[in-house]
Amino acid sequence: MVDLDEAAINSPSNDATGHLDVDLTDETQDFRMLNNLSFLTDTPEASLPKRGEKDFEPNPTLFQADVLSASRRAMHNALSYPRLHNPKNIVVGVYAPNGPAPAPSATSKLDTIAEHSPGKKPAPTSIGVSPDACVYVTNPKGQLFRTIGQADRWSRIWLLPEEALYLLERGSLDIRWPRCAVGDGEEDDVEDSGIPMSLQAAYACFLGHGGLTMERFSVYTGLRRLGYTVIRAPGWTQDSNIEAAGAKSSDELENQLLRRQGPGLAGIFTRFLEWLHASPPTTAMGPVVGFGFHRGYVDLFRKLSLIPYYDPATASPSSATLPYAVVFHVYKPSTHIRKSAPPSPDFRIAVVNTRTNTTMPTLSQIGTLLESTPFDPPAANKPLYVRLRHGQRNVILAAVDQGVVSYLRVADAAFGKEKIYQSQAVRGNKQRGPPRNKFKKQ
Amino acid sequence: MNTNPELPIPISYIAGNYFIFSVDAATFLRREHNICGILAGTLPQVPQQNVFTGLPLELMPEEARFLVEEGVACIVDEVNFQKQGMQSLVEEDCKKYLKELESQGIETMQMLLRHKERQKEGALKKIAEKKATKAKKAELKQAASDATADDSASPFFEDSQPSTPSQVSSRRSSTLGSRDAMRITPAISHPPLPQQPPAEHLLPLPQVPSSYPLFAHLHSKGYFLFPGLRFGCQYLAYPGDPLRFHSHFLVVSTLWDEELDLMKIISGGRLGTGVKKGFLIGGTDKNLEESSDAGSNVRTFSIEWAGM
Repeated sequence: MVDLDEAAINSPSNDATGHLDVDLTDETQDFRMLNNLSFLTDTPEASLPKRGEKDFEPNPTLFQADVLSASRRAMHNALSYPRLHNPKNIVVGVYAPNGPAPAPSATSKLDTIAEHSPGKKPAPTSIGVSPDACVYVTNPKGQLFRTIGQADRWSRIWLLPEEALYLLERGSLDIRWPRCAVGDGEEDDVEDSGIPMSLQAAYACFLGHGGLTMERFSVYTGLRRLGYTVIRAPGWTQDSNIEAAGAKSSDELENQLLRRQGPGLAGIFTRFLEWLHASPPTTAMGPVVGFGFHRGYVDLFRKLSLIPYYDPATASPSSATLPYAVVFHVYKPSTHIRKSAPPSPDFRIAVVNTRTNTTMPTLSQIGTLLESTPFDPPAANKPLYVRLRHGQRNVILAAVDQGVVSYLRVADAAFGKEKIYQSQAVRGNKQRGPPRNKFKKQ
Repeated sequence: MNTNPELPIPISYIAGNYFIFSVDAATFLRREHNICGILAGTLPQVPQQNVFTGLPLELMPEEARFLVEEGVACIVDEVNFQKQGMQSLVEEDCKKYLKELESQGIETMQMLLRHKERQKEGALKKIAEKKATKAKKAELKQAASDATADDSASPFFEDSQPSTPSQVSSRRSSTLGSRDAMRITPAISHPPLPQQPPAEHLLPLPQVPSSYPLFAHLHSKGYFLFPGLRFGCQYLAYPGDPLRFHSHFLVVSTLWDEELDLMKIISGGRLGTGVKKGFLIGGTDKNLEESSDAGSNVRTFSIEWAGM
């Protein structure tokens, strides 16, 4: 068995199917593979490189040393590739360290606007842009701005720190220092000083600005690089105080448990009605299924279902501050998005820093997190196991360990709602029974 | 490429994380000190994928701490350094810096144009050859059937004069002005900021988790260590550069007198054996003499599942 596996690993097959289940991002890949994708030199190839072959352990041969140094050289070359902007299609952004502000050239115009509509104040927050935005672009061009940025009324696009940093990093945006940050510029002068911001400076300016942590940024860029559209969720600003929120959430959960059991008398009354109606099975009066004639298994099974189960559909969304919060809404590349009115997201992601949260979230924490997401039941026509896996509510946890991101999907599965005996009865197939072999180890 | 950066290498401390932005420093640390870090950035040449990532290099606090203790690096409060550094720039510095960037931009533009030219020439030559053979074939065919082939064949040859386009573009590249210069976003802030930050921006040793002695111990034995949560452990230990070798151990650190759940050992052992790695636990042995080196009094145990 082991030998077989070993052979499979040591002889990488060339067909694509053999590589489907291998995540190339799992491990460091040989940068020489990148040479297959050439940049400055040749026409770029469309396909990604295959997994490179690695050795078991170092040995003192010259051959191995040569290969290693070639790999390192390839890595060095790849890393030193410059971020260039052709003057014809350069997109220039300007850093505004104090957040969104009205266009300086338009201040005179602004006064007249203010006169006409006395209700509106020309304060920074009134320009219709998130207060966390810190870079504005006057000439937004290109595909990327379809899903990135917010426009103000001077037709400038304002970028949030993660958006600005991502665009700069991929070489699609040239961010300039404002005049107030360079030399002895005036306090509020956010005009372009002409000095480009380096990658290093951009990290220093944007990380930590408006709640952006490196963990969140790793998740953001990782998904953006894969083509997903990622936008901030309302939970972005919620989890600033983790300690307090953790203590609170357990109380909240208890309250919710109480609430679910039904409020006082009315609850007792409805339960009494239910009891009368369905005459709950008790063994004190004889067999659980009761006396009398039974003409079908469905009735029998229904009477046998004694154990109460948790129904996610009845849980009400809570407004508690969360230890973990959904910070990103993610859309598949194919989803059409209008920035002004984004549709319901395909995925909801909560980011966890595993260096500060070293344990798995507790059940109550997960419960609160799930309750903050909307009810999202699976389609009824899907197969049973797909439905169970999909769950009634779901959220994706992105666990970030020093830049390495692992994704976990947590779903609220409703086993109690899936009446196996009913589906069997509909099909009327007595021989088949539940598909037990699914659980058997192959 | 084997350039040695000026020591100590400044490690940028930004919002709780440690970064290296210089490509020379990144490859130097990898080559000379077995410190890899995680490449956290996007490669501008292939921005839509996650297999190969680029600068900056994100270092674990353990790695940063180790480098500072070795005297190879220092921790810089990058946020304040950038802010004050840019503020203290005088106009002359700015002008000089911009001029430098411009000349670099012109150079790259010229390089690109030259390259394009070469590519074009090659492509044209190929097309010309193809057309020539095609025309010849057609000629032969037509000559066999009819005698009017001459008209159709000759214009192809006139079209494919490779000299004219290259002349035009070479003329253009020689007279590149500042307007045609490629704009560059530099990776590091030196220049215009100084390479070594002033002492007021230096920070003390990074805070490290209790697993640091084990990290230092394995590193001193020549292992390359990676954050390992994705594989269900604290660190992944590689016998050589992860570029070329698979990892050998899943490493989990424990305290010496810590009560260990047997399940932890079993699940770790099974997991490690399942992925052909050893499960390694270790911690500081209080009975061993402590010396000045971190991690010298660490004992490690490797667990392998024999029945699989």
